[in-house]
Amino acid sequence: MTNDIQRHAILLKAAARAAKNITTILDPYELLQRTVDIICDEFGFYYAGVFFLDEAKEYAILKAGRGEAGREMINAQHKLAVGGNSMIGASIANRQGRIALDVGAEAIFFENPHLPKTRSEMALPLIVGDDVIGALTVQSMEESAFHDEDIDALQTMADQLAIAIQNSNLHRQAERRSRLLKAANRVGKDVTSILDLEKLLPQTVNIICESYGLYYAGVFLIDGSGEYAVLRAGYGKAGRAMVADGHKLKIGTDSMIGACISMSEARIALDVGEERVHFKNPYLPHTRSEMALPLVYGGRVMGAVTIQSSEERAFNEDDITTLSTMAEHLAVAINNARLIDELRDANAEILRNKVFEALTSASTEAIHWIGNKTLPISLTIARLHDEIVDGKVDLESLKEDLDMISESAALIIQVKEQLIGAVREQKPRLVLFADVLQTAAHQRGIPEKALKMEIDLEAAYVIADSTQLVRALGNILQNAAEAGAKSIKVSVQPSEEHGLLKIIIEDDGAGMENDVLSKAWSPFFTTRGVEHHGLGLPAALHVISQSQGRIALFSEKDKGTTVVMFMPRGSANDEPIEAGRVKSILLIDDKDDWAALFANLLKGTKVKLTQSTDLKNFPAADLILVDEHIKSIPLLELLTALSKTGLVSKTVILSAAINPERVTQFLRHGALDVTLKPYSAREVSELLK
Amino acid sequence: MTTVLLVDDEKLILRSLEKTLLRAGFDVLSASDCKSGRGVFTRNMNVINIAVLDLNMPGFDGLPKSGAGLDLLADLKKQKPSLPVVILTAYDEVTKAKDAVSGGASAFFVKGREQGLVELILRLLKVAG
Repeated sequence: MTNDIQRHAILLKAAARAAKNITTILDPYELLQRTVDIICDEFGFYYAGVFFLDEAKEYAILKAGRGEAGREMINAQHKLAVGGNSMIGASIANRQGRIALDVGAEAIFFENPHLPKTRSEMALPLIVGDDVIGALTVQSMEESAFHDEDIDALQTMADQLAIAIQNSNLHRQAERRSRLLKAANRVGKDVTSILDLEKLLPQTVNIICESYGLYYAGVFLIDGSGEYAVLRAGYGKAGRAMVADGHKLKIGTDSMIGACISMSEARIALDVGEERVHFKNPYLPHTRSEMALPLVYGGRVMGAVTIQSSEERAFNEDDITTLSTMAEHLAVAINNARLIDELRDANAEILRNKVFEALTSASTEAIHWIGNKTLPISLTIARLHDEIVDGKVDLESLKEDLDMISESAALIIQVKEQLIGAVREQKPRLVLFADVLQTAAHQRGIPEKALKMEIDLEAAYVIADSTQLVRALGNILQNAAEAGAKSIKVSVQPSEEHGLLKIIIEDDGAGMENDVLSKAWSPFFTTRGVEHHGLGLPAALHVISQSQGRIALFSEKDKGTTVVMFMPRGSANDEPIEAGRVKSILLIDDKDDWAALFANLLKGTKVKLTQSTDLKNFPAADLILVDEHIKSIPLLELLTALSKTGLVSKTVILSAAINPERVTQFLRHGALDVTLKPYSAREVSELLK
Repeated sequence: MTTVLLVDDEKLILRSLEKTLLRAGFDVLSASDCKSGRGVFTRNMNVINIAVLDLNMPGFDGLPKSGAGLDLLADLKKQKPSLPVVILTAYDEVTKAKDAVSGGASAFFVKGREQGLVELILRLLKVAG
């Protein structure tokens, strides 16, 4: 008796320890395996095993078993019928623990070949609330190892195990839901950042499969007829092959996708249970579960997403809520991408129309302009011809006719210069912006007091072809002057965009109405009458674009016009100057920005620089440099004075904007050379060579 | 003597046409836009037998306007419905030609064949009696 009490007490303690250990395990797979180990270790049993009831509650299926015997039986899918002759089947059916011994009156012959040493067995139902979820078997090598009173002690442990199993299942479900939610959020975040529909759908199926660890995902969109859902993207090789095959499913038919779209609700298909579905898609042979989720935006079904798993029962009704969130994100992303597509198409259409309109407008203006400028030539020649034939040539009339021909021809040549000049090859170099601006203003006769410059020290240099930039700036300044501007303010500063200068040219002239502004860049468009060719701004646009710059125009009627340009920014370097044989230079120029730069560049060299504008007394020098756009002295007068003193042969004319006609003119005056103004130490060295 | 009102903003074309018409024996009154054209016509309505108007030129507000010649056409026809009017243009444009005819123009003439204009004027005056 004492031994029995001691044995029972030990059993109770072991049961308590086992229960304590079991209830701390949350992982369902670990829980079962460790449970059988803990039970065997604590009680010194030969074997323990845990059975779960199947869906139909017909069989108890072995889920964990001690040792090699347990593993073998699990692999053999060991199961016992509920209510059958087995201990487990009976304990489940009766919801009671049972004991079997191979001794005494009810001796049982244990014949499980995996457990040959079993001499006693106890089977205990696993009950949670009112439900039996399975049973626990414990087996001993001892005969009569269990007594009836032991059932209560071990049932308590079995009850704890049942609760632990339930907790573990709940934990597993919560964890799974959390994982699905996180994946849904990740999918949502990832897909909504993709705005190109052609990229969005393939990337979406990749993101879904990778985030959820799924076998396959595909996105179907409803076609234009509204009759079919067409596969637009599918995961992996199978998906690509199906898309290439033009895989589509009729809406409203028996297919998961068709039904999901027509009913606008999620559907699940599993290949287990009473409503077992046989997945037959040859591209996806391993699918065992599928869920179809409608893609709905603004109450409108756009298509559906299919997600497929190679696991049986991979999805349950609870998953619909979680995965629907992902489908909602996807629907929003598809809608956004479609809107962007539509916007892009609309923009392309507008652009095509605008280009066509601009070309038509430019061609019409050009035809009109050229027609009007060439017509007087042909008309006058025809008339002269008639007069000569009639022998009625009047000299005064003839002179007038020749003047008309000449004037028409001059206007046409001006157009040629604007058209061809602007497209002439550009030679970008470091250019002092203040100098090209002053040259442009001088060329176009802009009064000095009208032009106000504010140039940031950090923005002194631009990379451009100086001749072309003078042309572009000249056109802009001339437009301002012709618009009646009294003040033209030019400010230059480093742009926030790396490597660029921001040049703002503001005038207080008449400004433009919107309809005029919209045509301002069109060739041959002008509001300034028939003497203008309307090529100033288009030529400026061409020059600035060729210089890798940008130009924009803002204007308001009666409030003036602002031109904003972005040009590549240059910076001076400290290269040493090689003066060659030149020991002294006479610079004939105004005291302007370029003269100051030139003097600065020569600092530190042995060259003696003298600057003067005195025509009566030219200081002696090896080389005389003259700025073509000198304002304080008329250039031809200066050249005449230099000729008279015999100094013109050592005179080089420097120009910011070189012109072949003027080069010829200056060379005929006897100048040594006409060349581009140097703006860098390297160019000064070149000049002095 | 037949008097022609000639309105064109292209001064070289205006002068060249003027010389051709003078040489053909017409008297020519000229103007360079709608406003001055109307002024010249109003002052000389009784002596002007025919008007030759450029299609595109400054309108009555002095600003360049496509089809301004049709505005002047309407104005002149209002003052003198029997006036034959020729619309001049630098290039063919069927729509504008139709507009000109429906506005009461007697002819639409594409610039370039000056002698053709002289012949056209003579023919129109003959029809007008």
